[in-house]
Amino acid sequence: MHKSDTVVLSLQHVSKHFGGLMAVDDVSFNVHEGEIYGLIGPNGAGKTTIFNLVTGIYGLTGGSISFYGSSLASLKPYQIAGEGITRTFQNIRLFKKLTSYENVLTACHRDADYGVFQTLLRLRVPGKLGKFAAQEAALKEKTEELLRLMGLWEYRDMVASNLPYGLQRKLEIARALALNPKLLLLDEPAAGMNPEETQQLMRLICDIRDRFSLTVLIIEHHMDLIMGVCDHVFVLNFGKPLAEGTPEQGQNNEHVIEAYLGKEEAHAHA
Amino acid sequence: MTVFLQQLINGLSLGSVYALMAVGYSLVYSIMNFSNFAHGGVIMVGAYIGYFAMTALGLPFWLAFIVCGLGAGLLAILLERLVYFPLRSRSAPFLYYIISAMGASIFLENIVIATIGPTFRTYPQVFATGPIQVGGLAIGRIDVFMIIVAVAGLLLLTLIIEKTKVGLAIRASSYNIKASTLMGVNVNMVIFTIFLLGGVLAGYAGMLFGMKYTVYPQIGNITTKSFIAAVFGGLGSLPGAIVGSVLLGLLETLTAAYISSNLRDLIAFVVLIGVLVIKPSGLMGKLAEEKA
Amino acid sequence: MSWYYIEGILINCGYVLMVVLGLSLLTGFTGLFSFGHAGFMAIGAYAAALCTLYLHIPYIPALIIGGLAAMLAGLFLGSFTLKLKGDYFCIATLGFGEAVRLIFDNVQALGGARGLSGMAMKTTLPVVLTVSAVAVAALVCLINSRHGRNMVAIREDELAAQVSGINVFRYKMMALAISALYAGIGGGLLAHYMGYIQPAMFKMVKSTEYTIIVIFGGLGSVTGSVVGTLLLTFLPELLREFENWRLVIYGLAVIIIMISRPRGLMGGTELRIGSLIRFFKNPFGFFRKRGAAGEEGGQGHA
Repeated sequence: MHKSDTVVLSLQHVSKHFGGLMAVDDVSFNVHEGEIYGLIGPNGAGKTTIFNLVTGIYGLTGGSISFYGSSLASLKPYQIAGEGITRTFQNIRLFKKLTSYENVLTACHRDADYGVFQTLLRLRVPGKLGKFAAQEAALKEKTEELLRLMGLWEYRDMVASNLPYGLQRKLEIARALALNPKLLLLDEPAAGMNPEETQQLMRLICDIRDRFSLTVLIIEHHMDLIMGVCDHVFVLNFGKPLAEGTPEQGQNNEHVIEAYLGKEEAHAHA
Repeated sequence: MTVFLQQLINGLSLGSVYALMAVGYSLVYSIMNFSNFAHGGVIMVGAYIGYFAMTALGLPFWLAFIVCGLGAGLLAILLERLVYFPLRSRSAPFLYYIISAMGASIFLENIVIATIGPTFRTYPQVFATGPIQVGGLAIGRIDVFMIIVAVAGLLLLTLIIEKTKVGLAIRASSYNIKASTLMGVNVNMVIFTIFLLGGVLAGYAGMLFGMKYTVYPQIGNITTKSFIAAVFGGLGSLPGAIVGSVLLGLLETLTAAYISSNLRDLIAFVVLIGVLVIKPSGLMGKLAEEKA
Repeated sequence: MSWYYIEGILINCGYVLMVVLGLSLLTGFTGLFSFGHAGFMAIGAYAAALCTLYLHIPYIPALIIGGLAAMLAGLFLGSFTLKLKGDYFCIATLGFGEAVRLIFDNVQALGGARGLSGMAMKTTLPVVLTVSAVAVAALVCLINSRHGRNMVAIREDELAAQVSGINVFRYKMMALAISALYAGIGGGLLAHYMGYIQPAMFKMVKSTEYTIIVIFGGLGSVTGSVVGTLLLTFLPELLREFENWRLVIYGLAVIIIMISRPRGLMGGTELRIGSLIRFFKNPFGFFRKRGAAGEEGGQGHA
């Protein structure tokens, strides 16, 4: 049973070839509004490729992807971000030489629309001419709010590449939230975290989902996170669909166990 | 008709020099994904090495020829070790490589000007002056030599790349450098080899150019043409670099002969704009998608 | 050393600074490398000269027209090169710079190799100082805005910038257009300082020299570009006997800078009024490193 009936993201028979390599083969699933949907599978199964397809970094070889009913096919990555889909990266792609504050502030840019003219004038007047001052203040306020939410405010002036690993991941999430997304794609957000940090992250993800009324699509290997947080999961192996359902169903599925642990283990569990 | 055929030969010889240059540049590009703008410096030094080997050292031509190749190859390797390797070990952004390459190129050009001097030098006469008569055509001996050297050099290079273990490593690295490291390929070895090969060919290109025209410190500027040739043929593709170079050489020569010699340099840029607008991946290249 | 001589060098700094500021925006802040900015300078110079010589347009408007002409050329070049990978743009700028020079060299109506002469020498020190001040102020304003931040994001990680909703192509075009505008105005200033222009004044070596100044001053720092321009215009004058070795040293310096201190002289930071006040209050404390909150880096914020 789904929390909501609105389908936020729909993949229909999506496939992606790279020359002779079939990275993703006939994958279809729907993510419903307000869900936390997990994308799991062994390494190299094609999960990040799907993220890249959804965010427009790769072009589709076959099938279609739609967001709230409209196709994403002809859109460029920055337009897709504008539509409301943002993401984090498996290898963390922060703006390394910028501070935490600047990383998030930069991403807030879509909340402002002042042009070069207003930038040069910088008048503190109400109305069109004074857009710069008013909008910049709003962007700064939002940046502070997001940083405080993610527990990064004391680190606001620290250069991103100097942040501890766990905080870098959180910063990437903060940056992704700055774009007012409706769908947030998290690529292995708990990688390299200890169990306590993972717990904290789980609460944070649910918190963000509720506070910003988002839908979340998450790639993860940490089973506690998946079990604890996801409403539904989709299991991939070698680019092909393997199973779909609730996390409990996935856990007990023989094929899934086999894919992760090998045939003998699967029989042992059966 | 004979004029046309003669210009064709001229174009081919020019194109073969461009090919020797473009191939070295393309090799580095295909593996390291950056444009080695210091390539011109190696070409220029090659020209000078050959020249001084023959004049100052009095070596016979064939020996000077070998010394030139070795010297240029050595310079290329030194460049890699001293300029690019430190950047690689710091995982420097792509921009830094271009900037350093530019620095190296300026350094080489100007140290030659400051020490040896900017005067033009002429190679001592190597071949008999009269052209070879074939049918009604008068083909310059130097042109024949240039084409032969280029063809030999490129064949040798192709052999190395297609048939040897190192060549296999190079080909693997050009597809995916990370994966090939996982397969046991020694990246440093691969890079060493491509710079060596590219450098040797560049040295010969410089020497040939110097023999046909003159030797001067700004010879490195003709690398611009070889970059354009590489883009024309398809950045990262070796056969493309060769094809692009030959075609560019022909186009340039024919333009100079039939339209105006003033426009000969300009035609290269027209070609460049054409390629970028119509098919940026060039004649034989493929635009790859970036992995996230 | 007469004032007249120093004034000459300062005016020199003035028009060089225009091109350097433009390149700073393009290379230092947006991460795009250009080999051909002398070409934009040439277009601006010729356009401005033609305006004052034949169209009897007054000096300042002519400067602006020169800048706009260069900007249009930049937009034209960018439209088919900026959508492609970085290398293509570099090679295209190489080609562009040389092509522009060759065209001016061969078009007899524009003077051919002898160029144009007889322009009124209207580039005085007050003019240069005013133009420079406006140029620096405008650039600083732009950088401390969402536009500037987006350009820096592109330099840092183009892909991350894309998924953060930044229209990378549009901002690259903006950076190129503005840098071309600045270079064009610099060209106009040059034309009316020397009184004549020739294609030989716009060779590729000039483009690379300006880039070297940006690198030396520090990528990503306007202050660095200003300081770099002053230093690298005055120093060579003082060390005239070593003129032959100047570029040798520059080339070597660039390599060393990129390997050991890529952020150049200013370290990518800016001179701020706040910082100046802090320095004078406590000269030694100023250099003590601070902790997590308040550490210097990046662009800094007010």
